[in-house]
Amino acid sequence: MKPKRLLIGGLGTVVLLSSFSMLGVFEQKVDYNTQIKPILNKQCIACHGGVKKTAGFSLLFRHEALAPTKSGKPAIVPGDADASEMIRRLTLDDPEERMPLDGPPLSEDEIQLLRDWVDQGAEWGDHWAYTPVEKPEVPRPGSFWDQLGSVIPGLAESDETAWAKNEIDYFVLDGLRTVRDTTADAQLAKTLRPSAEASRATLLRRVSLDLTGLPPTPEQVSAFVNDTSPDAYEKQVDRLLASSAYGEKWAGMWLDLARYADTKGYERDPGRQIWRYRDWLIKAFNDDKPYNLFLTEQLAGDLMPNRDPLTGLPPDDQLVATGFHRNTMNNDEGGTQDEEFRVAAVIDRVNTTWDVFGGTTFACVQCHSHPYDPFTHEEYYKYMAFFNNTRDEDVTTDTPTLRFYKDKDSVRVQELYSWMGRLAPPGQTAQQRQFLRTLEPKFNSHALDQYQKASLLDAKFFGILHEGSGRLPNVTLTGQNRLLIAWSNETPGATLTIRRDSLNGPVLVSLPVPAPARDTVQIFPIPEVAGRHNLFFRLDNPKGGNKWVSIKWIAFQRAMPGQSAHRLGAVEMEYALLLNKRPQSTPILLDGTGDLARPTQVFDRGNWLVKTKRVQPDVPKSILPLSPDLPRNRLGLARWMTDRKHPLTARVAVNRFWEQLFGTGLVETVEDLGTQGSTPTHRALLDYLAAEFMETDGWRIKKMLRRMVLSATYRQQSAAPAALVTADPTNKYLARGPRVRLAAEQVRDQALAVSGLLNPKMYGPSVMPPQPDGIWQSPYNGESWKLSDATDRNRRALYTYWKRTAPYPSMITFDSPSREFCQVRRLRTNTPLQALVTLNDPVYVEAARTLADCVREQARTPEEQIKAAFRRVALREIEPRKLAVLLRLYRNTEQHYRQHPDEAQQLMGFEQASPALAALTVTTNTVLNLDEVITKE
Amino acid sequence: MEKLLKELQQAALQRETRRHFFQTCSTGLGAMALGSFLSSCGWGGNKATPASGLAGPTEPMMPRPAQFNPKAKRVIYIHMAGSPSQLELFDYKPELVKYHGRDCPQELLEGKKFAFIRGVPKMLGPQGKFAQYGQSGAWLSDYLPHLQGVVDEISFLKAMHTDQFNHAPAQLLMHTGSARLGRPSIGSWVTYGLGSENDDLPGFVVLASGGKQPDAGKSVWGSGFLPTVYQGVQCRTDGDPVLYVSDPAGMNRDIRKQTIDAITEINQQAYNEVNDPEILTRISQYELAFRMQMSVPDAMDIKSEPQYIMDLYGADPNVGSFARNCLLARRLVERGVRFVQLFDWGWDTHGTSADGALEIGLKNKCRESDQAVAGLLKDLKQRGLLDDTLVVWGGEFGRTPMQENRDGLTLPFMGRDHHLDAFTVWMAGGGVRKGFSYGETDDIGYYGVKDKVHVHDLHATILHLLGFDHEQLTYPFQGRSFRLTDVAGKVVKPVLA
Repeated sequence: MKPKRLLIGGLGTVVLLSSFSMLGVFEQKVDYNTQIKPILNKQCIACHGGVKKTAGFSLLFRHEALAPTKSGKPAIVPGDADASEMIRRLTLDDPEERMPLDGPPLSEDEIQLLRDWVDQGAEWGDHWAYTPVEKPEVPRPGSFWDQLGSVIPGLAESDETAWAKNEIDYFVLDGLRTVRDTTADAQLAKTLRPSAEASRATLLRRVSLDLTGLPPTPEQVSAFVNDTSPDAYEKQVDRLLASSAYGEKWAGMWLDLARYADTKGYERDPGRQIWRYRDWLIKAFNDDKPYNLFLTEQLAGDLMPNRDPLTGLPPDDQLVATGFHRNTMNNDEGGTQDEEFRVAAVIDRVNTTWDVFGGTTFACVQCHSHPYDPFTHEEYYKYMAFFNNTRDEDVTTDTPTLRFYKDKDSVRVQELYSWMGRLAPPGQTAQQRQFLRTLEPKFNSHALDQYQKASLLDAKFFGILHEGSGRLPNVTLTGQNRLLIAWSNETPGATLTIRRDSLNGPVLVSLPVPAPARDTVQIFPIPEVAGRHNLFFRLDNPKGGNKWVSIKWIAFQRAMPGQSAHRLGAVEMEYALLLNKRPQSTPILLDGTGDLARPTQVFDRGNWLVKTKRVQPDVPKSILPLSPDLPRNRLGLARWMTDRKHPLTARVAVNRFWEQLFGTGLVETVEDLGTQGSTPTHRALLDYLAAEFMETDGWRIKKMLRRMVLSATYRQQSAAPAALVTADPTNKYLARGPRVRLAAEQVRDQALAVSGLLNPKMYGPSVMPPQPDGIWQSPYNGESWKLSDATDRNRRALYTYWKRTAPYPSMITFDSPSREFCQVRRLRTNTPLQALVTLNDPVYVEAARTLADCVREQARTPEEQIKAAFRRVALREIEPRKLAVLLRLYRNTEQHYRQHPDEAQQLMGFEQASPALAALTVTTNTVLNLDEVITKE
Repeated sequence: MEKLLKELQQAALQRETRRHFFQTCSTGLGAMALGSFLSSCGWGGNKATPASGLAGPTEPMMPRPAQFNPKAKRVIYIHMAGSPSQLELFDYKPELVKYHGRDCPQELLEGKKFAFIRGVPKMLGPQGKFAQYGQSGAWLSDYLPHLQGVVDEISFLKAMHTDQFNHAPAQLLMHTGSARLGRPSIGSWVTYGLGSENDDLPGFVVLASGGKQPDAGKSVWGSGFLPTVYQGVQCRTDGDPVLYVSDPAGMNRDIRKQTIDAITEINQQAYNEVNDPEILTRISQYELAFRMQMSVPDAMDIKSEPQYIMDLYGADPNVGSFARNCLLARRLVERGVRFVQLFDWGWDTHGTSADGALEIGLKNKCRESDQAVAGLLKDLKQRGLLDDTLVVWGGEFGRTPMQENRDGLTLPFMGRDHHLDAFTVWMAGGGVRKGFSYGETDDIGYYGVKDKVHVHDLHATILHLLGFDHEQLTYPFQGRSFRLTDVAGKVVKPVLA
């Protein structure tokens, strides 16, 4: 056998020769992305980029860089480095003139490279992630290396080929070989070999945790271990993908991205009912909803074309899906401006959309043009215009919401519908049907202005005193002969008069204010008036004194067909009655139209109070121009994002799936594939997977995950020789399997599952498992943590009630974000507080007790019981040395409890608790804290 | 007592064994992690290191030197949540007495927004009686009789201003440099920069009193995008001082120690099999957890303090209070905790109730806290800690010179609305000029007219005292380097000693 090392030496020379210092000699084309941009980003862009354009010179875009600078001349003359001021400045001796100013000069190599680049025409290139996905060829084994006849000592080339299971592995092998053959690090070259497949038990535990978030049962493990069929592993993978726990695991992952919470955030942080969105997510994953549709429904479910002719609304589940962007925070703190926090929510939607689906930090462009990536300041606001037209306005009721009438009320709604159906063809009552479900469109009371003896009470509701007034501007009254109003009042005898065009204008209507009333919805006939008017509201409330009449909202509609224009019909009375119900509801997106359509303006340097140019919805052209066929609304945006030619959506998605399985993305910065993100470890593989995802898999996530977990790369054992760990500490070359600590949810779910406590009940409102007293302090709304009943306590972690200002403590300790904002990636920490949770949190102590109780019934001797406990938790046989440690612990502890039976009773919580059971509980508590247990191996 | 001593001995022995283990079994590991940590800290030149360098450092809390020689080594930050009225306490405005009860002039209201004032409010004269105290002649009101005795230790910043007039965003700005959620708090930045000098206690501890958390919730001591290891750990006054620090009932310390030993031994075996260095970190974190189980309750148990110290602070060992938290703060910094954040709720004096009245509620809050704050400064001084411990005192914004007329009504008590253009913050100790007053407001205390200090400037100054250039203490996130002061901040040099 010919040793490989000689060959490597030879190759090393070739590689060295082709490095950039020799480019001039060989007249090689300089590559902007890999060779020039890193220099510009590091050395120049801080002063000559998006934020600063010192001396009028910017290197962000080519057209900027070639434009005349402050001196009147351009700094770069394409094709002529000698005539380019930029190149000249790099080589000067005078520190006042030489660039980079106040920094060390560029190296000769770097200057030569820039010189060549300018001489070759100073061409700009697009960052790899901003160019369309082209499916790369799968590297075939033997195509190059075999021709050279190379043989690797230890593992023959053909062995590596046999190791491969699918295309992923060929890319990974190719990467390993390239590193081996080009690295100067002999240790790395020697150790970079793929690892053997993990044991079946380990593999099944890994793939079960990855796909379902739960460990397998011991029975499932032994069935797999004993299955001799060639597709034994495939069968397990398919079983896991088909289980309902799969949807729970992936929905749980998505909740961080959606910044899902059961409260609204900010100071008061009151509760919000939006769990239906979580249920939608679980079903979407379980149904394997194609990712392009999954994306579209979340961003634009309300605009989907398949509308119900009765209501004009899309199906409920598509509306519920838009809860994705209704998870933004809502500020109910007294004195806060609704518009400020509405804008904050819209900006959050823009940034979150880019973070989650675009893997790009678009937020920078809020204040200035992007310093590194090809986005301009104005493009941010054009993009924001897609999201700026929704009806949510930071009001306390969180409207628009989708109302779910229950029981008797739902029967009444159905009866009302059929009543309305008898009056007129369904389309003619769509306005009322939609209003019954969504309470939109309407004017929220902060739309009123020009207060006299009136006020926006608590900065929330329009309040008005005796002889007070206010104005509701710009209301189109044409065709409207019904006024709907929601208001509150304490004193009888008040009258609200609404006039047109001025405080002394013609009376539109005079309304008796009900008393007492609390957010009472009423419908009044109004005379039909054409045109758009300012409406002036004036209150006469002679007995009111200092008591306010407050108005929550106002809407204008047309009477139902067949009703008198001047008097409410019975069907309208029933309609009003149902509007006064407070059914369960979930926040959704709905766009405003007509008077309620909202224009978008650029905010100067990101300040929402300083608005400048008006803009129309559009996308950053450097990514992909918006097809003129697409509507300029969120639906058009979603179609653009899921276009085959869009460079980011599929790459970002498959990178995230990879990260979930392997612990680290192919691009480590899952949140940023832009120029400031990490370099991909396997760019061709990423592109291959992205192309397959769109083309072969039809955007189906299960198919993509199946491909990943079936690869030999995924199946490798994670235990590795120390030399390999030292050579590749972060496993970026993938020569071993992933080994990472379980996520917060998995730590909890596993403890519940292996102890038999887990309640697999799916869906529904969030639950409150035990947590220490004093975590929640809600001074205004008096909400409190009400311990769920015995079975609901042990639901999977994703059903735990999530309060943004006081999240469930053990989740936070294990790196869950607070969900105030989208967090694309959890950084895994390793802290003593985590140890305290799994050692002492009553949830884990309870799991230890239950597990002890369970294995005591299964086995007779302590030794057998400990073995059984370890088998249940770690899903394999315990090594004798570890057993010895645990057995010693058990015996010492049991002796102690024999002498102190009261302590055994305290630990177990009942009087007859035996020292043996207490000792076994101490032992299972220990097992549940082992590194191999809280780690996916 | 004997049992405790035995335990401590055991712990010391245990630590020694562990150290030996790390020396023999993981040569180079600590150095490796430290190297990656320092290079990602944004000083020492190269700033562009990806955030992941910090994701799993072995010793994220290892004490580290500052960028330059620091005057302060640790911080006690006292936040009076709700915001005390500077016009009743520090910023003496005799002119305002003359205007008391008159309608506020229209020019003061034009273009202004208030949280609750509507229409035309009345001016409100100072409710406290002011006089000058100490060598420095500092103005103080009779609301703060104890502070009168330590004014010569203090620098007052009298022309502070902020951007936010609602509690939650203003508290966020005061503690994270941003009114929006998601940024690391100042305590997180400081522990990220300096580590901690006590590895048996959290480096950043939060103590709250007044019956309510700050309005902005845990985010005011959150770590934002920094690793969660740098977030503040709230030590609670009831129940476990740190969550889950107590062993389950029926499991004594000896058994807990045996379980930790078993975990360690098995994890060591696992490390030998799989060579994952993360296991070594986990072993050390379980060790630390075990030590914290003793050291945290020990630090939090003030019963061992002598009576004259209790009297100095006005603290009752059995009652959770601001005074007790001040004493705890001293115990914590004494033990090497880097940053102690005190929150005391109840300073929001709108005049809507007796508790929120300048003449009742504010006086009560001062009575509850004045002795403790003065006692803290004296105690730190007598222990030689004040020289390198920075004490900061303030709210999140100021109060208006006008009386609040919420919803246009006359309120039953004296109160002032939120005000962002003028308020007072004071600093003392570690590197701060003694007996000094900086900045002036106009005749009625409405706007700063001289030497104004923005929240970002305060942050820049605190970091400077700790030995950091606020522009250099950065962390790369989402494509750019972030810092506490965002794109602003100037060190207030005149208050440096």
